[in-house]
Amino acid sequence: MRGTLIFAGSSCPELTDKICQNLGMARADAELTQFSNGETSVRILTSVREKDVFVVQSGSPKINDTIMELLIMISACKGGSANKITAVLPYFPYSRQSKKKSHRGAITARMLANLLDVAGVKHVVTVDLHASQMQGFFRCPVDNLHAEPLIARWIRRNVPRWQEAVVVSKNAGGTKRVTSLADALKLNFGMVTTDKRRGNNMSASMTASMIFDGPARNPNPDAAASQARAIDTSETEDGTPATDASDARGDASAPGSPRVNGNGTHSSESPFRRSDTTLSQSSAIDEIDEDYEADGLEYNDQRAHEVTHGRLVQGHVVPDDFPSPSVSAVEPSVHDEDPMMLSHASSFFSPQPHALGGSGDAGASSDEEDDILKDPKVERTITLVGDVKGRTVLIVDDMIDKPGSWIAAAETVVKRGRAKKVYCIATHGVFGGDCLEQMEACDCIDAIVVTNSYPIPEHKLRNSTKLVVLDLSFLLAEAIRRNHYGESMSPLFQHLMD
Amino acid sequence: MSAEMANEIKLISGRSHPDLCEKIAKRLGIQVARTISLNYSNQETSFTVGESVRDEDVFIVQSTATGDVNEGLMELLIMISACRTASARRITAVIPNFPYARQDKKDKSRAPISARLVANMLQTAGANHIVTVDLHASQIQGFFSVPVDNLYAEPSFLRYIRENFNPEDCVIVSPDAGGAKRATSIADHLNTAFALIHKERPRPNVVGRMVLVGNVVDKVAILVDDMADTCGTLVKAAAVLKENGAKAVLALVTHGILSGNAIETLNGSVLEALVVTNTVPLGDKVERCPKLRVIDISPTIAEAIRRTHNGESVSYLFTHAPV
Repeated sequence: MRGTLIFAGSSCPELTDKICQNLGMARADAELTQFSNGETSVRILTSVREKDVFVVQSGSPKINDTIMELLIMISACKGGSANKITAVLPYFPYSRQSKKKSHRGAITARMLANLLDVAGVKHVVTVDLHASQMQGFFRCPVDNLHAEPLIARWIRRNVPRWQEAVVVSKNAGGTKRVTSLADALKLNFGMVTTDKRRGNNMSASMTASMIFDGPARNPNPDAAASQARAIDTSETEDGTPATDASDARGDASAPGSPRVNGNGTHSSESPFRRSDTTLSQSSAIDEIDEDYEADGLEYNDQRAHEVTHGRLVQGHVVPDDFPSPSVSAVEPSVHDEDPMMLSHASSFFSPQPHALGGSGDAGASSDEEDDILKDPKVERTITLVGDVKGRTVLIVDDMIDKPGSWIAAAETVVKRGRAKKVYCIATHGVFGGDCLEQMEACDCIDAIVVTNSYPIPEHKLRNSTKLVVLDLSFLLAEAIRRNHYGESMSPLFQHLMD
Repeated sequence: MSAEMANEIKLISGRSHPDLCEKIAKRLGIQVARTISLNYSNQETSFTVGESVRDEDVFIVQSTATGDVNEGLMELLIMISACRTASARRITAVIPNFPYARQDKKDKSRAPISARLVANMLQTAGANHIVTVDLHASQIQGFFSVPVDNLYAEPSFLRYIRENFNPEDCVIVSPDAGGAKRATSIADHLNTAFALIHKERPRPNVVGRMVLVGNVVDKVAILVDDMADTCGTLVKAAAVLKENGAKAVLALVTHGILSGNAIETLNGSVLEALVVTNTVPLGDKVERCPKLRVIDISPTIAEAIRRTHNGESVSYLFTHAPV
């Protein structure tokens, strides 16, 4: 293309080369090094005067270095009198920190948007932002491309009997992404959700309700700090959004609400409740689930069977007779806490950021969620909504970073839901730590599908038998080409039925 | 309650140099604010302020650890942004060692002016005021549209020389032409002789041929510079001074970055001592290098913070080092 230069950041030279190949041009020359004190040095080795410059940069394990390099490259091009600078960020760094999760937490994604602006970016091209609202953080136009058509096409071509597959979200926050793919492929969808089984401090119950209820919930701790006596009101409140989350429960909700009041009496006989009869703070969620299951049996409602429970200990699904690890670990000291006191939780300094209110976007808190899954003292209930028996399950989210929630979800659909095959599908394969190795070792996962938006090291690719990497370069090249010639982007969002 | 009442100093420490921040806090008689900094598994930095900063005067102390410059810079930006979102009244970034200060001009075609980029980034994140020590070039202050207080380590150095040497025995030497002004300033204050070493530098961090201008015979030659990075320049300059008859050679440097093989280079050199301030975290380098002496700069910074907060003049600190 005339008058265009494409520069590659040090994180993704391969992807950039593929993009350039698609466009039939060569990558522009730049020297990217570090001074001995760790400062980043950039030399643009070709004239950029009055050119359309595209800088491609993805993430890397040294993410802050990568960002600085990108900013300096943009700044250097701007100083070299480039006409227009476009940042192509297949993986947008810090996209998970897109809102104030706790008191006084930073909205780093917005700050990064401002930094790009200050460096001199006039346009941003990215793929599957964690939250599409982030486009509003920029003063310049943002093209948020979707990898979904690419993934859908791969599913149609490579998943045997994909017409019978079920798309499953591994948390409530990601449900929308999943329904979109399910709609595109005309498949059924399900959801896996985790909540703390016998947590009895305030933060636990709040987390549970936050994750369960979705973003509409009021994060006011006073509302969540309802006492045991007040549970009959909070149950209906908590129950209603939960009902929305799955159509399976739709019909049970209306007759359910008057009966909920008497629930406290029979809950202690429930097979899910163990040893102590104290009504724990977090029981609102447990009970509502049990209540629905009880309803299902009582009324012989077939659809209620689509809700399956499992027990999750140290991130793995265990059989029902597995000894509870926390019977003795749960000390009464927390019980003694006056629930009214807990309404002041906001003024306490808690090291758990998610405990300090925030919104219920479970996708955003999946990092912390994963930490909880690993806690050996905490047993959690994992709930599968939807029928996956004997079917292929596609677990979908926007990125794979930590393995915990993926493995838990896969084990749930296989061991509890008796699914036949499990594909873990995400746009960004970040694979932090030994994530890939752990997922590789999990028997319940049959394949892992990601795109090359985030560079995956050669040795990981070679050692993996389950990993499939889809190529994004054509999509990005098209976006660059259309941008340069001022053509419409819309066709890139459409599913091509081939 | 009047608006002034709830306005106190909140001192926040980044992870790069908690030791310096602790010293500043001690000097000010306050506690460092409680914060949580951590890296997610994908190495993204996360930061939370543990106490209210609403309507407070926030000072964030972050240096840049050698090798982790970008890490420290990003953390600083995120800290500023977090305090801004948490309704702090004023945010002052205390950056003893300003990162990217050496990339302050377009010295080649299409070279980035990274120092200006950093300045813009700090303001974009929400910094209202910058406090720093011995900027590589004072023009960097002009990159900001917010006030910048550039403190000097010079008064501390003057005191060190007066306490340890007889100024009449000393010659202040600048290791390059660019630093001549800094060296002459010290020489004027001490009323001593001055010399200069001219060098040719083919590439960054590589030292070329050196020529001494001035007389150092039977004198204590004191090299003065703003930063010691790989120490190649200093060590070569020391050798040149020794060859020219200096009795002893030592170096006074504000920022002891000491990257790469600096410690080994120093240990094997004729340099008697390298005196640095603690603007940059030194880690175990003091143990590894017996020639390294450290001057504590925290009284100067603490005093600047106090004066800035109370709206007093900072000029006193340009000529005097608080005890």
